[in-house]
Amino acid sequence: MIPVLILSATILAAAAGAVWLARPVHAALLLALTLALNAVLYLVLGAHFVGLVQFMVYVGAVAVLIVFSLMITRTTDEVAEVAGRRGRFLLGLICALPVMAVLSAMRMGAGPVSIGPSPSGPSLKETGQTLFTSHAPAVLAVAVLLTAVMIGAALLAREDKPEPGKPE
Amino acid sequence: MNPLDMLLTLSALLFTLGLIAVLTRRNAILVLIGIELMLNAANLNFIAFWRYGPPDTAGPMFVVFSIAIAAAEAAVGLAIILMAFRHTRSTDLDKLNSLHG
Repeated sequence: MIPVLILSATILAAAAGAVWLARPVHAALLLALTLALNAVLYLVLGAHFVGLVQFMVYVGAVAVLIVFSLMITRTTDEVAEVAGRRGRFLLGLICALPVMAVLSAMRMGAGPVSIGPSPSGPSLKETGQTLFTSHAPAVLAVAVLLTAVMIGAALLAREDKPEPGKPE
Repeated sequence: MNPLDMLLTLSALLFTLGLIAVLTRRNAILVLIGIELMLNAANLNFIAFWRYGPPDTAGPMFVVFSIAIAAAEAAVGLAIILMAFRHTRSTDLDKLNSLHG
């Protein structure tokens, strides 16, 4: 309970930093920290497989991808992000608070829950077996999706070179 | 406060933070960071309900697929941002206000 509490507080602080900090690289690094702490939280809660997947995919791939994109799209107009930031942040907060209220109200409306004793999650082996037996079609579908995404992203991000022999 | 409520509150707060980032940031990549935060909040809910709900393995499975799709979304999103950057030399969303290629 106490570790979860401390982790939650750290996650919130890191996420707040990712939202608030003006420099894009700082925000991206704090996002990576938030995602890593989330993975630790999953591990603490007993979802070992999900924790490891979170580490590999989110921290290892998505966060690094975001940092690289920031490096590629680096411009000098960071001033634009800072100008009028407080007012914008306040407006965003005002717009986001109703959503927060609705999310909390849904929880309140559900009434008390009985907390079942589920001390530890399934082992990695069991999870893997479930994934590749009863969920095999879904895994294949995700494989097709990821292939399509890879091709699509490469096509989108490709540099448009002028055709040889053709003037610009 | 029981642990389930605590995790759900954490998830709601994370979602709100992500929403604020989406609403207030001007850099398209930072908006994507907000979207990632919101996706993470949803995943956290799955794990929380799995951990403190009736015994079932559906929660973690759902999160695994959700993470795969989130990775796909991030890849395509960043590719689109790079494409837009090549056209306008900027990732400022206020400047990307035309569909003209």
